[in-house]
Amino acid sequence: MAAVREGELAALQSLLKAPSKDAVRQLCRECFSSPAAGLGPLAQRACPGLAASPEEAEQLVSALHSLTRHVVYRGLTRAEDILSLFPENFHQNLKNLLTKIILENLSSWRNEAQASQISLPRLVDMDWRVDIKTSSDSISRMAVPTCLLQLKIQEDVALCGNSPVVSALTVELSKETLDTMLEGLGRIRDQLSAVANK
Amino acid sequence: QFSALTEVLFRFLTEPREVERFLTQLSDFATMNKISLGPLKSIVKSILLVPNGALKRNLSSEQVRADFIALGLSEEKASYFAEQWKVHSPTLTRLAVGQTLMINQLVDMEWKFGVTAGSSELEKVGSIFLQLKLVIKKGGQMENVYIELTLPQFYSFLHEMERVKTSLESFS
Repeated sequence: MAAVREGELAALQSLLKAPSKDAVRQLCRECFSSPAAGLGPLAQRACPGLAASPEEAEQLVSALHSLTRHVVYRGLTRAEDILSLFPENFHQNLKNLLTKIILENLSSWRNEAQASQISLPRLVDMDWRVDIKTSSDSISRMAVPTCLLQLKIQEDVALCGNSPVVSALTVELSKETLDTMLEGLGRIRDQLSAVANK
Repeated sequence: QFSALTEVLFRFLTEPREVERFLTQLSDFATMNKISLGPLKSIVKSILLVPNGALKRNLSSEQVRADFIALGLSEEKASYFAEQWKVHSPTLTRLAVGQTLMINQLVDMEWKFGVTAGSSELEKVGSIFLQLKLVIKKGGQMENVYIELTLPQFYSFLHEMERVKTSLESFS
């Protein structure tokens, strides 16, 4: 997924036709964020301005996508490392511009990659409320406090693409259950600080 | 004789799942005292109605005794039963509360945490994740729910749960 082929980057020279540095910046960002399958529409938008033909546009967009993803994957942080990726006779100014743009966006791209990792369903939000049960069909008078906990859970981001599914799960806990849970959470906290202090 | 029967009855009431044992003890009682099991069972059924109703209406032992006397039991036996009732009522009340409806009751929680080493987008990651497995009773069945939390989320979850505990304690 993250390998960059030498020949590919030559396609980037189409960027020399770009109207401004900002346009290049914008295109870089869009190419990184788009999944490999979504590069088609991007290529179509680039076509009239930057590329002579649809094939050129596709190559351009695909090369940008590979380049940005590769840098983020390898965790390259130095300009020299990025510059060394380009082929020998690549246009000097364009090379520097692209390197500069990549370095600028590197940390936000890294965060984006981490946020879209595969994972178990993630906790997005939680709310709670304490009720007092006063009567039921098995006993007519009582005063038992109980806790209702609502967890908002988002399914795996990678599966949902742009429309994440968030489900709400409401759970009831008695006082005993809550105490046991807090004990468990306390143990987690202790273990986490033991690991952090090593 | 009556006290033995009462003992059997209360043992069943305090452990309602031990149906087998209850039935065995009843048939033992029947053979020991030379009564047939059928009529004994129907007597026991009617006797059991009294404590169940008493529980639902939160009756005191005095009222239970009065009920039994009204039903025709001798004073001595009614008092004995009422005494036993007083002794066992905390357990019985707790059981009744336990039977009260609970929505999606949290039954168990398991967890693990670790470090994400790498992914298809990032060669080296090194971030901590926490995974919780919640076992929830939905109707009659158990359902497992898996969630992942980041570290900050875990700390705010812990903080919120401590607030819930304080709130619950202030109401008990």
